[in-house]
Amino acid sequence: MICEHCKERQATITVTQVINGQKSERHYCEVCASQFHPFNLDFHKEDQIPIHQLVSNLFGLPVWKSETQEKQQTVTQKAAQCPKCGFTFRHFLNEGKLGCPQCYETFSKQLPQVLTKIQAGTKHSGKAPGKMNNNKEWMKKQIESVREQLQVAIVEERFEDAAKLRDEIREIERKLEHGGVDTP
Amino acid sequence: MNLEHFLKSGAPGWMGDKGLDADIVLSTRIRLARNLDGYRFPLSFTDHEAIQVDEIVTDAMHQISNKEHNFSHFTIKDMPLLQRQVLVEKHLISPLLSKKEKSASVLISNDETISVMINEEDHLRIQCLAPGLQLIETYALANKLDSQLEKHLPYAYNEAFGYLTSCPTNVGTGLRASVMMHLPALTMSKQIKVVTQMLARLGMVVRGIYGEGSENLGNIYQISNQVTLGKSEEEIIDDLQSVVVQIIQNERGAREALLKNSRIALEDRFNRSLGTLKYARIMTSEEAAACLSNVRLGVDLNIIKEVPLNVLNECMILIQPGFVQQYAGTTLQASERDVFRAKLLREKLNAKTQKLMEEGEERYDV
Repeated sequence: MICEHCKERQATITVTQVINGQKSERHYCEVCASQFHPFNLDFHKEDQIPIHQLVSNLFGLPVWKSETQEKQQTVTQKAAQCPKCGFTFRHFLNEGKLGCPQCYETFSKQLPQVLTKIQAGTKHSGKAPGKMNNNKEWMKKQIESVREQLQVAIVEERFEDAAKLRDEIREIERKLEHGGVDTP
Repeated sequence: MNLEHFLKSGAPGWMGDKGLDADIVLSTRIRLARNLDGYRFPLSFTDHEAIQVDEIVTDAMHQISNKEHNFSHFTIKDMPLLQRQVLVEKHLISPLLSKKEKSASVLISNDETISVMINEEDHLRIQCLAPGLQLIETYALANKLDSQLEKHLPYAYNEAFGYLTSCPTNVGTGLRASVMMHLPALTMSKQIKVVTQMLARLGMVVRGIYGEGSENLGNIYQISNQVTLGKSEEEIIDDLQSVVVQIIQNERGAREALLKNSRIALEDRFNRSLGTLKYARIMTSEEAAACLSNVRLGVDLNIIKEVPLNVLNECMILIQPGFVQQYAGTTLQASERDVFRAKLLREKLNAKTQKLMEEGEERYDV
């Protein structure tokens, strides 16, 4: 078989794609397949996927719905329109972005299903405004990890790096003594 | 500080040759996305809101300016296109910001290590740059600035989702940490594909430096975290740090193997590239990037001795279209750019060997 893209070389790789439940198989040579990327829209010159559909595919929500689903959607859409910017959830899916901070509250029920696909979780576990950033524990952990790197550098006889790492440890220790505040 | 200061040709402040593992890691970048509560995101806000956000943030920035970090404010729409492009190529503003006409602006610290973009995709994008591998230090700098700003700005924050951003790929910490790495040996030995796949599985992305789509131009890769929600800032930084350290080890291993197996072929390649850079009359950015990568590896492996790393760093920035046109003093067609690019490289690489001593002072203030 000959590669579908360059139509020159022998096809050695089969790419199976499932879009909205539609399975399609394509055969490419190694050269063309190495350029292949799921977001590289130019690759399939004949059947370009519209960007909103791409986002929907990514989030696993079909864009073209059957009539009953369409009706359900319009009901939830009416219920969930952001009072601040007028964004609907459908609008967000098409755009891939939200309109205002209020949107996060308006769509607080639908967002987690999107977030689980692109993030490590749906709950924030980092810094919060107004709270003192208690990073003493982290600094201690950091010193340990730099010490390990230092050992490796010494074993590998990279003494210049070792000297830098030693200075880095001293620097973090100094900060730690000043209660985590970066004062010279 | 006027705009000319930041347009000056030469490597930006964040691209020194100091930094840890500076032979492989060129630079570290930390970006925090923040928005103001009560204002719509730049995607849907009105001109009036845009102006207000710009004023509030600029005001807050001036309040926290001190001797250490003095910021200069520039409005994007007041800048000619070429100047915007130069700032993009210096990584001081994003390509998206450079295209904005609606009250988009930027505050840049005099040493070019901090830039705060206003009304990009989010109301604020705090960005800190540093040479070499310095994730912890650079994050500490960004975090300090962010903590100072939050006293003056009503950040949009939610217990469940963290810092709220226009795109859900930034929500939570709003943190994107990235490291720019020169990985010629991993590329030559085709191991880079395995690394890229491994990184994707760990929730990290690999991109080229000269913008998206310019994959592995000059064998330079930008590695950054994809996940911003569900992990703390510390976890994100730690994870990236350990991945980068791993890649550095692999690259060093691959370099040793290459040198052992094909030393003479490598020496040939490095010196040919140096010759091309020194004497060619027409240079596309692709060829220039490839040659600079070879010479850089030659310097790292101690085969090429007469070219200092900082000159190579500078050249890597200068070969970009915006800088070439600024050097020529006018806008140019692609083919004309290739001629000026070759001229610029000849000047830099031939002059440096003799004039290194005299130029020592100039180096100092870039």
